[in-house]
Amino acid sequence: MGKLTGFMDYAREEVEEREARHRISDWREYKAPFSDETLKRQGARCMDCGTPFCQIGEVLDGATTGCPIYNLIPEWNHLVYLEKWEEALERLLKTNNFPEFTGRVCPAPCEGSCTLAIADPAVTIKSIERTIIDKGFENGWIASRMPRNRTGKSVAIIGSGPAGLASADQLNQAGHMVTVYERQDRAGGLLMYGIPNMKLEKEVVERRVRLLEEEGIQFILNTEVGIDIHADELNEMYDAVILCTGA
Amino acid sequence: MRNLLDFKDRESIPVEEVEPVSSIVKRFKTGAMSFGSLSKEAHETLAIAMNRIGGKSNSGEGGEDPKRYAPDANGDLRRSAIKQIASGRFGVKSHYLIHADELQIKMAQGAKPGEGGQLPGNKVYPWVADVRGSTPGVGLISPPPHHDIYSIEDLAQLIYDLKNANREARISVKLVAKSGIGTIAAGVAKGKADVISVSGYDGGTGASPRTSIKHTGLPWELGLAETHQTLMLNNLRERVVLETDGKLMTGKDVVMAALLGAEEFGFATAPLVVLGCVMMRVCHKDTCPVGIATQNPELREKFMGNADHVVNFMHYIAQEVREIMAMLGFRTIEEMIGRTDILTISERAKVHWKAKDLDLSTLIYRVDGGRTCQTKQDHQLQRSLDESAILPMVLSIIEQNEKVDITYNIKNTHRAVGTITGSEITKRYGEEGMVEDAITLRFNGSAGQSFGAYVPKGMTLRLTGDANDYVGKGLSGGKIIISSPPEAKSAESGNIIIGNVALYGATTGEAYINGYAGERFAVRNSGANAVVEGIGDHGCEYMTGGRVVILGDVGKNFAAGMSGGIAYILTEDPEKFDVLCNKEMVAIETVSDPMELEEVKRLIQNHYHYTASQKARFVLSHWNGSMQKLVKVIPRDFRHMQEQIQTYKNAGMSDREAALHAFELKKKNAVGNQNLKTSTVVPL
Repeated sequence: MGKLTGFMDYAREEVEEREARHRISDWREYKAPFSDETLKRQGARCMDCGTPFCQIGEVLDGATTGCPIYNLIPEWNHLVYLEKWEEALERLLKTNNFPEFTGRVCPAPCEGSCTLAIADPAVTIKSIERTIIDKGFENGWIASRMPRNRTGKSVAIIGSGPAGLASADQLNQAGHMVTVYERQDRAGGLLMYGIPNMKLEKEVVERRVRLLEEEGIQFILNTEVGIDIHADELNEMYDAVILCTGA
Repeated sequence: MRNLLDFKDRESIPVEEVEPVSSIVKRFKTGAMSFGSLSKEAHETLAIAMNRIGGKSNSGEGGEDPKRYAPDANGDLRRSAIKQIASGRFGVKSHYLIHADELQIKMAQGAKPGEGGQLPGNKVYPWVADVRGSTPGVGLISPPPHHDIYSIEDLAQLIYDLKNANREARISVKLVAKSGIGTIAAGVAKGKADVISVSGYDGGTGASPRTSIKHTGLPWELGLAETHQTLMLNNLRERVVLETDGKLMTGKDVVMAALLGAEEFGFATAPLVVLGCVMMRVCHKDTCPVGIATQNPELREKFMGNADHVVNFMHYIAQEVREIMAMLGFRTIEEMIGRTDILTISERAKVHWKAKDLDLSTLIYRVDGGRTCQTKQDHQLQRSLDESAILPMVLSIIEQNEKVDITYNIKNTHRAVGTITGSEITKRYGEEGMVEDAITLRFNGSAGQSFGAYVPKGMTLRLTGDANDYVGKGLSGGKIIISSPPEAKSAESGNIIIGNVALYGATTGEAYINGYAGERFAVRNSGANAVVEGIGDHGCEYMTGGRVVILGDVGKNFAAGMSGGIAYILTEDPEKFDVLCNKEMVAIETVSDPMELEEVKRLIQNHYHYTASQKARFVLSHWNGSMQKLVKVIPRDFRHMQEQIQTYKNAGMSDREAALHAFELKKKNAVGNQNLKTSTVVPL
């Protein structure tokens, strides 16, 4: 919201893309985050709806409408407009463990449900999200957060894809000792092996995995559960086991 | 609340035997949402849809563009069947009243009982200001009370006035659910309302304060049940039609309302959602992104509503009503109304931790007797001076568009004199009326209440004597002259010659009062010119247009909430006036512009010409000295807008363009600097 008439005053802008002739010479990401000015303008386009469909995350007729992780989109749009970057980041992290992934590769059902999209192009929610988190890393606002208490319980997580990483982060922050099993030689699952670099640089994934390790999560790579280690063993060793496979 | 109730098991009948959809939808109405709060497109689409199905749309309180009174080429009618009369009286003129099937007096609003309404300046676009009789860009206030209603008798008087202004229309009074509503409704029924509407809290405009919606309103179920039962216990129920609204969304809601006693049903939120409302809750900010609650042309283009959709919606609701009726074994709505005996506490409510302790027995208490409207109210119009004496002599002259000048004796039991005659003129000649003074009616004696209410152009009422309250209420172009008898001339300016609340909601016309007026003179005047020789407290309150010249003293709280028009006061004691004037919105100035002085002089000359006022004679004969004492009261925002419009006009713009440009400039400044207190005129 911020600016009441923002949606009338400004048009939707897309993030800058590298020119094709430069793009073909490497495999690097081709989209850049917004500049501060653009970010502010795009945040102003949000209308702060009475019913914010962007954040409801409901399945209607088999299709997801709105953000499935209930991101507080109108709130951080508003904070971005006010140039309160840190607060915006805080809001974003309230519901989202890894905005640097979703901000790059999420299909953005939020934009599909944006009320503004009834008659105009939707608010550039996804790019705003990405810019907020990139800014967070750039300014050093993202640092490892050590859990204050440990519960003494342990959890094994099978699979280090988005679901595995997210559950690992949540449970670790809750104080449990978390071990993630991954059959490949690097953590990340789909993020690492499925999504091409031009969309999601592997450094971004590794940066997050490093953070999680610093926070106390143990990653056991090159280990396929059922072959290298038996499920019964896991059940024996841990208080709980979570299956996070399937991508 | 209705969700705590359930239907008892009854023998069902085939749905084919139930009364058809087409007759059920005639009982449906849409909510009172003004043109101003809603865009032209949304407002007219609702009207078209309801006229197509024989239901009724409600104008709300913002007046209506007369262009909508004639059918379109395709047969659609954009006229609202219900015309609302609210405390602001915006655009309530004879022409507006005559084009209605129902006239609704809004006593309160379900979502915000006891509160007035307001249209913020940034929504008062020039075309809105046009139909409301106000200035573009200047915010409008609908005060919490009607200034002509302080008791149930006053309400009865307004009902009578409106019945005179349009004899074919039903008069409806909108109340809100509250404890004690039954007593109020009984009074309203005795005051001869034809329809009583009970409004609940859970509808609510997007712009109602959240605190009001949550904490002041009550469910319509409570209000409706109490009203229905009280009216029945007092043998009044058969004289009125009962209506309810407040978030009716389904056929089941309608059936519940009918069982609790409602005969007609209002919908507002649902039809708006059908038109594309996404419940942004920014209705007051002029940024509605679907073009419904906005006046901004850019946003109005995004309006995607369609009258067919509203028609379909109403048909679906009626069909659902039929299905439930078939299940319950009712063939007509009529037989279903007030049948609380088939309601029971729902199983869910019986076990709910909180609801189980509620005693709902009084809600579904059943009184024996007639449960629906059977007889029409007798408004006794045949006993009015108009029907008994004036109209027989004047009607043929009106029809032939000729001139007449007749004299009558008048008593204070003659109320609303001239109103019916005026309505006959408006019916034939519309807002234009007849030529000046075409129908001149002279009266000797004491006039009753509402003398000359809503009289249109071409009518001149000359009274020698005095008059009760509400002289020239809603004056619509006519001329009212009240002078003291020659034998009382010596005492004229010290004595009160007319009662309170004169010229309330006047829109055009002239009034010359040869003496003192009571309190609340020219409240909400939006365009009439008046000369008076002194007034009581609260003069010119909430005025939005017109000129008032006061050759004498004023009471306290003068010009409170005044947002338009100009008052000229010839006072002996400027210091005292300074204290009596409420300067929150107005500035006190002197008059130096010769053209303006000339206009004031013309009004005073008229006053002398019509009333032979001694005071006017003195002022005119000592013109220069008198003008030294002349004080001008003008609202600051109004003056600024007028000056800005004039600047654009001088630069060669048409009236319309100039108004729009000035409005846009003001809006831009308001957005740019919310705290801008003093505005300056910007050259082109």
